Amino acid sequence: MIMVRAIVRPEKKDVLLSELSAAGFHAATVVDVVGRGKQMGIKVGDVVYDEIPKSMIMMATPAASKEKIVSIIIKYAKSSGEGSFGDGKIFISPLDGVYTVSTGATGL
Amino acid sequence: MKEIIAVIRMNKVSATKKALVEVGVAGFTATKVMGRGRLVEDLSIIAERRKTLLALSKEDEAKTEKMIVQFLDGTRLFPRRMFTILAHDEEVAKIIETIIAVNRTDNKVGDGKIFILPILDAIRVRTGETGDAAV
Repeated sequence: MIMVRAIVRPEKKDVLLSELSAAGFHAATVVDVVGRGKQMGIKVGDVVYDEIPKSMIMMATPAASKEKIVSIIIKYAKSSGEGSFGDGKIFISPLDGVYTVSTGATGL
Repeated sequence: MKEIIAVIRMNKVSATKKALVEVGVAGFTATKVMGRGRLVEDLSIIAERRKTLLALSKEDEAKTEKMIVQFLDGTRLFPRRMFTILAHDEEVAKIIETIIAVNRTDNKVGDGKIFILPILDAIRVRTGETGDAAV
């Protein structure tokens, strides 16, 4: 199992969540975050904005679904055309276990 | 070292905090999150809930029904609290048991999930200690 954490534009969140659901990845946790990337934030004149709001979507999936889920996120989180800076990042980490509180069952 | 990420109901936060202190885990980070779980396939599970919601409303039934369907069809995100707890390997089972015991309700769905992730290293900022000593 893996934990996929995708940091995406907040305005892409809704379409991304519905596309993920349509592809069978329904369960998700969404956190509002602020951050900056390699481009050192956005410079407008003398003002630097380096706390840019993004949405972090967290999903636990079987390792086999990695390629599929990543391709969906890349397809729908990208800005129109070739994409642009600020479209986000996807982080994948290993997941040792998952427990459901209501049943106590392990696994996804 | 393990990172325990628990997504739980908002109204169970203080009970969870208390229970965590009782098992000897005082440190954690909590964040407000929005989330959704697996789609509810067996509608009989939420039938009771649906009845309660319908009884609560004074509006005409068709309108309420539509709203409740939107509410339960799974596309909506619900507010939850996310706890992030760092723990030693041998404590993990005990912490999971505690969180499950405190947060279980009769609603059958929506009680939350617990994720266990491996952590490579931890550093205490104050002293510079690393590894298990820092947790």
